Amino acid sequence: MPRPSRGWRAAAAAGAVAVLLAACSSGDGGSGGSGGPGDRPYTIGLSNGFVGSEWRTQMVEGLEAAFAEYQKEGVVDELVVESADTDVNGQIQQIRNLINRDVDAIIVNPNSETALDAVFREATQQGVKVFAIDQAVTSKDVTNVVIDQAEWARTSAEWLAEKVGRGGDIVVVNGIAGHPANDMRWNAAKEVFTKAGVNVLTVADGNWDQATGQQVMTNLLATYPDIDGVWTQDGMAEGVFRAVQAAGRLDRITISGEARVGFMRLWNEARADGFESIGVVNPPGGAVSALHMAVNVLDGRKLATATAATATAGGNGNTVHIPIPFTVDETTFDQHWGKVSGESAAYSLDGSLTRAKAAEFFE
Amino acid sequence: MNAPARREIWREIRLPGVQLSGAATVAMLVVAVVVNSALQPNFWNSYALTSNFATFVPLVAIAVGQTVVVLSGGLDLSLGAQVTLAGVVAVQIVDGRLDRIPLAVAAALGVGLACGALNGLVVALLRLQPIVATFATGFVFSGLALVVLPTPGGSVPVEVTTAYRDAVLGVPVALLAILGLALLWWVLRRHRVLRHIYAVGGDADAAYASLVPVTRTRVQAYVLGGLFAALAALAILANTGSGDPFVGNELTLASVAAVVIGGTALTGGRGGAGGSILGAVVLALVTNIVFFADVPTTYRQLVNGAVIIVALALAGIPALQKSPASRKRRPVA
Repeated sequence: MPRPSRGWRAAAAAGAVAVLLAACSSGDGGSGGSGGPGDRPYTIGLSNGFVGSEWRTQMVEGLEAAFAEYQKEGVVDELVVESADTDVNGQIQQIRNLINRDVDAIIVNPNSETALDAVFREATQQGVKVFAIDQAVTSKDVTNVVIDQAEWARTSAEWLAEKVGRGGDIVVVNGIAGHPANDMRWNAAKEVFTKAGVNVLTVADGNWDQATGQQVMTNLLATYPDIDGVWTQDGMAEGVFRAVQAAGRLDRITISGEARVGFMRLWNEARADGFESIGVVNPPGGAVSALHMAVNVLDGRKLATATAATATAGGNGNTVHIPIPFTVDETTFDQHWGKVSGESAAYSLDGSLTRAKAAEFFE
Repeated sequence: MNAPARREIWREIRLPGVQLSGAATVAMLVVAVVVNSALQPNFWNSYALTSNFATFVPLVAIAVGQTVVVLSGGLDLSLGAQVTLAGVVAVQIVDGRLDRIPLAVAAALGVGLACGALNGLVVALLRLQPIVATFATGFVFSGLALVVLPTPGGSVPVEVTTAYRDAVLGVPVALLAILGLALLWWVLRRHRVLRHIYAVGGDADAAYASLVPVTRTRVQAYVLGGLFAALAALAILANTGSGDPFVGNELTLASVAAVVIGGTALTGGRGGAGGSILGAVVLALVTNIVFFADVPTTYRQLVNGAVIIVALALAGIPALQKSPASRKRRPVA
């Protein structure tokens, strides 16, 4: 039997390889990135590897709104959004797509602290500026634009420590053990409790999930009947509150809360009975702050020496801490609640750097 | 029956469908390349090529592994989990140290071979349905991976990640890796084990009657599958530079899709890894195309899935048309 297509396929394959080799050797070494600083309008890419939470939705929408303003002024032309549930490998692909799309800067909410380092290097080599938000990364090629997670945790921990007083007994409902943000927060809070003489009876994980948080808290209440308080972080305070409420011990157990509408609604209802809490804002608007930073960097401005010094003090020398927008407590509750009471339960109170504030980070 | 005669038999059974679907695969690849380069202005520049090939390698490796298993008449739904397990074991061993690379590579290959052997025993000796059995062993492997590396972490020496992105005489290292995988397949293809695998997948009873050790051959197919899964794991490590206990899971179904697009029959015995390699590249290019076609992220998965279904259908058409002919040929042989 004649087999003409065998040879034909081999020829096709050989031809394809030859074309590729020719293309590889004639490649111009990458045309990604902009020609030089001040080369307006800029194209910005966003890489987001997790879409399962309202927080991320708010992050993307907030960025799109701020981008539209710049767009009207002709500073930027296109925002390429890469947002999908994916793993590290998928996020590497997202970032490569953005580089190949010839963006000038990439704002990334990284799925890993370390695993994207290699692809960030690729971006830098192609002349693309990279800004990490929400979760700082170790790569020196990236500017982290994040809140200080330690300060964020310290604020609510100090409030709780004061409420329960020296010798008070508390339990802790944390996020995910081993997760970098979780560890940074808990280490800072632990220090506060040790200094204030508060006894931490146990630490449990609630996976940053309301339902899991509620389940975990219910178990903790059964195990430790005489606690004075509970410290929890980000996205679980509503569940913790419901567990304490179901046990009828809201009057005796102090809960550190969160600046999300779902929890604030419960807080608002319980205020009549003297319930107090605190909510430190973890702003989805960090993406907007990063956009302001990116525009400044693309305009060719250098980070001010003061900022650079703080960045070095902040750990890897590549981190710019943006201030925590505000904290909701008894004195400010009414003011904030009035503005957000119409939002859905998962809505996070938000804030970002203004353009003027962002410019202050630069020379 | 002597060996040449046996080879004649499987050639008669195998070739008719393959040639046409091979042509379909090449056609799809050409269309994918043309569309992608039309949508992506810098498709041919060296960075874009290097980064694309770097993305292809893991999928190509696992697709070759799946091809071997499918050719034997089986299916391995645990391949992605094997990739994960081999990867986390290797990253825990290498721990950022250059001198431990040989050990880590050996360990990854060992894990792949062991996983493949377990699958082979479960399917060939215990005679469980391959789909259900490997789906279950997949959970075992994923679970083990979580024990070995509970959260993403660990690091690969930066020399490895840099070399993986480098080029030798203008040829991306990742492209060389793909050519290396093709070469490995070419060598295997000439080995007795692969001939037995074709024979068993084509007609196990006839193979048994021809003194082919059917059970042993099936086990060997899964072991080879595991070996290629380990190679995929090493490619992922070189690509990401870090370990992740979930990284391989999405590769399993992609490997099956690549095999089908490549024109290998899921019934076994017909096809080859050459088509699967092209199929894997087509799959990866489709993802690129959907991105550069400006499909909004919310719709991307939907469009991606739809395009893959079309590709699978196109790959299946020649086989459908040819199947009466191949049935007719059988008595002649």
